[in-house]
Amino acid sequence: MEQFTLPTRMRNIIYTLVGIGVLSLIMGVVNVMGAEEAEHHHAVQRLWGNILINGLFFFGIALMGTFFMAVQYAAESAWAVTVKRVFEAVSQYVYVGALVLLVVFAAGAMHLHHLYHWMDPNLYIEFLADGSLNPEYDEIIAGKSAFLNQPFFWARALLFMGVYIWFTRRFRKRSLEEDMSGGTSLHYNNVRDAAIFLVFFGFTSMVASWDWIMSIDTHWFSTLFGWYVFSGWWISAMVVFLLLVLYLKSKGLMQQVNESHVHDLGKWMFAVSFLWSYLFFSQFMLIWYSDIPEEVTYYIARIDHYRWLFWGMFAVNFIFPMLFLMDRDNKRNKGYLVTIGFIILFGHWLDTFLLVVPGTQHADWHFGAFEIGLMLGFAGLFLFVVTRALSKAPVVVKSHPFLDESLHHEIH
Amino acid sequence: MAGKTIFGMYDDDGTLMTGAAALIDKGLHIKDAYTPFPVHGLDRVLGVKWTRLAQCAFIYGLIGAILALSGFWFFMISDWPMNIGGKPNGVLYENLPAFIPITFEFTVLCAAHGMAITYLLRNWTLPGVKARNPHPRTTDDHFCIEISTEENNNFSEEDINSLLKETGTVEIFERA
Amino acid sequence: MHSEAAIRKPLILGDKDYHQITEDVCAPVEGKANRLWYIAFSIALIVALWGIGCILYTIGRGIGVWGLNTTVGWAWDITNFVWWVGIGHAGTLISAVLLLFRQRWRMAINRSAEAMTIFAVMMAALFPGIHMGRIWMAYWVLPVPNTFGSLWVNFNSPLLWDVFAISTYFSVSLVFWYIGLIPDFATIRDRSQKALPKFIYSTLSFGWTGNVKAWIRFEEVSLVLAGLATPLVFSVHSIVSMDFATSVIPGWHTTIFPPYFVAGAIFSGFAMVQTLLLMVRKVVSLEAYITRKHIEYMNIVIVITGSMVGIAYLSELFISWYSGVEYEQYAFLNRATGPYFWAYWAMMTCNVVTPQLFWFAKIRKSFVMSFILSLFVNTGMWFERFVIIVTSLHRDYIPANWSMFHPTFVDIGIFIGTIGIFFVLFLLYARVFPVLALNELKSILKISGENFKKQQH
Repeated sequence: MEQFTLPTRMRNIIYTLVGIGVLSLIMGVVNVMGAEEAEHHHAVQRLWGNILINGLFFFGIALMGTFFMAVQYAAESAWAVTVKRVFEAVSQYVYVGALVLLVVFAAGAMHLHHLYHWMDPNLYIEFLADGSLNPEYDEIIAGKSAFLNQPFFWARALLFMGVYIWFTRRFRKRSLEEDMSGGTSLHYNNVRDAAIFLVFFGFTSMVASWDWIMSIDTHWFSTLFGWYVFSGWWISAMVVFLLLVLYLKSKGLMQQVNESHVHDLGKWMFAVSFLWSYLFFSQFMLIWYSDIPEEVTYYIARIDHYRWLFWGMFAVNFIFPMLFLMDRDNKRNKGYLVTIGFIILFGHWLDTFLLVVPGTQHADWHFGAFEIGLMLGFAGLFLFVVTRALSKAPVVVKSHPFLDESLHHEIH
Repeated sequence: MAGKTIFGMYDDDGTLMTGAAALIDKGLHIKDAYTPFPVHGLDRVLGVKWTRLAQCAFIYGLIGAILALSGFWFFMISDWPMNIGGKPNGVLYENLPAFIPITFEFTVLCAAHGMAITYLLRNWTLPGVKARNPHPRTTDDHFCIEISTEENNNFSEEDINSLLKETGTVEIFERA
Repeated sequence: MHSEAAIRKPLILGDKDYHQITEDVCAPVEGKANRLWYIAFSIALIVALWGIGCILYTIGRGIGVWGLNTTVGWAWDITNFVWWVGIGHAGTLISAVLLLFRQRWRMAINRSAEAMTIFAVMMAALFPGIHMGRIWMAYWVLPVPNTFGSLWVNFNSPLLWDVFAISTYFSVSLVFWYIGLIPDFATIRDRSQKALPKFIYSTLSFGWTGNVKAWIRFEEVSLVLAGLATPLVFSVHSIVSMDFATSVIPGWHTTIFPPYFVAGAIFSGFAMVQTLLLMVRKVVSLEAYITRKHIEYMNIVIVITGSMVGIAYLSELFISWYSGVEYEQYAFLNRATGPYFWAYWAMMTCNVVTPQLFWFAKIRKSFVMSFILSLFVNTGMWFERFVIIVTSLHRDYIPANWSMFHPTFVDIGIFIGTIGIFFVLFLLYARVFPVLALNELKSILKISGENFKKQQH
């Protein structure tokens, strides 16, 4: 039986990362407490904004663990069976990830921060008590209040997260059971669950992205936004799967995973990068081309104040995978995959940064030790959860109707 | 010694694979094989090199992309700059988003057709070319290996014939 | 060697060997057509001739013979164009995307699906052509040196992007299809006894030999062309959608259009493939190759893409309200409750509601239901384009300009006519081309054939 135990070196790395994260968080809090009146709001936005960025980024990756596994079931695909435990392990972060997001939302509801502009109740009051017009009244946001209101927002968030977690638990539980019992009945249950999950996720991931991200720029709207966020999560998750598989292989585990499996993961990384770039371009080009004020402000804010970060992020996430993963041999080359993987993983973290920060810190933004530190801290937390899940079960499933087919997987 | 070509026919891709491997083990050199569909792994058995058509496609695509972009620069920026829909054509990069779709299409066009033409030429499959497969059933359900006596000087014709028979051929024939 | 899990259903039924596959697929090409074929062909031909008549009438008299007016300047022509292009997406999707995903069931349907693609794109290209009015000036869309100073075509225009997208798509699909056909033509060539068929298929097969290196190149070319065709499929319908989405017309300008058009194209294309294949498998007796399992897989794709289209409809509807832009809001209200409400609800019913029936395994596996529902989808997708185009245009920013669109007999004749031409071409194809990819089917016989699967397990 192949069992993963966390090597001391990796454990130390994880603890160091978490340590850096805790220090950065303290730094952020101190920064808020020490800030002068004028700076206070900004420091708060920076602190909570970064927690939200990391909350979204890693929760998204975890969700994609469940999503990608469900896709494999629904598509009757076999090749990925040998690496299925990695998807499962990644998905186990949903609990912590959901918690982080809920903390951010709760803090917003308590007005500890102002990331979600629409949570400000003043915007909805047209007339003040004395009968005069409320200068803070926002007609557009008030028009959205049937959707953007606290009770409905919380109901949606709790429902979505609850259902995602419920499915993740079921897949994991059945997977561990299947190791013991074998047979095909559990498999067919998984196939059925996968179909239901995909339908639910397909719709709710879109709504979730409106709720949790698009509503930051409260006035702005884009119908493509949900699929754009979705593809960003997906590519980040593909990179994480690949890095974990290569790591486990380097530790002498997962010997059943051959070059063809790695090649296939590499292909996915390439293809989903293309998908993400396509959606980025579709959204950007249509808004740029039509140039109508209610939409284009979103990109003007990013291009005026975040020019290098914005274009750099796109260039990295598009050009790197495109240029270096097009060649067949590179998709089997560990060095290439790891290097490109880390670069675009950071690239997509930057994408999340650009989803949140321009709407919350506007022109006066920061990117420094605090941002990097907190990101590393969350990465440590993520790795802690994922490696723990990995060590709880054999790294390759012991029984699955498609296991044999996957073990014989061979492509040119 | 005048060169002769001996053909061994199999009626199954499995026997073809094991047969070809056995013959090569004995030191025979197999010139080529004709099959009704791609038999995976046969290239490795016969030691045929993998094709570099994909690299060609990349180069054709690159040429397409460069052509398209320089075309835009010439048509829209240099030769007759037009301000259409508030999209000034002063410099190429300012208007790049509008040029991406055709650049992409033209890249694919050049890559696909360039590669297809190269493929047809390399295989020498063109209108009017005569087929060179040794037996009509190699496009139906038979698998044929081609052995040249010239390349196998240390074997006599009889040797080759008997070796072929041992591997389970259904028919052996030869051509001068 | 490859191994296939026991729980996978066989894709080739009955006791087949390599030779039997050749026999089965070549039978319709070598034999005589049955009566059913002649009846279908005659009907299609009559309809096609009527359509050609209407087209010639349009070219002779000008597009004033259509029902267009100054407010609704685009109507059936563009609706039909987008409908046909959408249908034309399934072929390359099946042969390219499913090849990359290594879906073996693709092999029984890709040849016909690609033929359908090529014919559908031809029908599509017809519409912008005749809409130009003076079709003999059609070459003006190309950046050719000309006599008007050096005034070039406008590369900023999505309509020009479309010219490049459609012509690239058409020519690449044709090449992809033909390269796959060459070895199969060679099979027919080597079987034919009479001089004339032998000559024809010798010419068509380009002297294919089938040696090892040729097959290596063949597989590499297929794979790379698939790799190129996959983003191409996405790009083509995205660019078609940009004809609308780059504008500032409410209901047209929405960022989800590119991926949503692609999903809709796959949806309608698969429905058309379903319609055609359910007929083909009967007419040319290929029940052992186009099995219930194939139909079920197709239905699964239909229900997935149908759901994506449904999600896109709902998000468009929601965002139009959420945006707070009154024109956006009105455009969608007008779609659902305005004078064209019937088109909107026909679209919703056929595209969102009825395909959901495929969640039931019984319906998904039924040939009759698959056929009926595929017709529903074909209809629904035509209405979708009609809704997007006509209902967005007929009530524009100035209420004084509001008007309605009434198709004339020419509009109707051309549309019906293209269906006729399409079927004429497809029926001819089914008689002279190998309708299944012989070489590919043979390569999966030992993996997915029923008799071989039984031996293994």
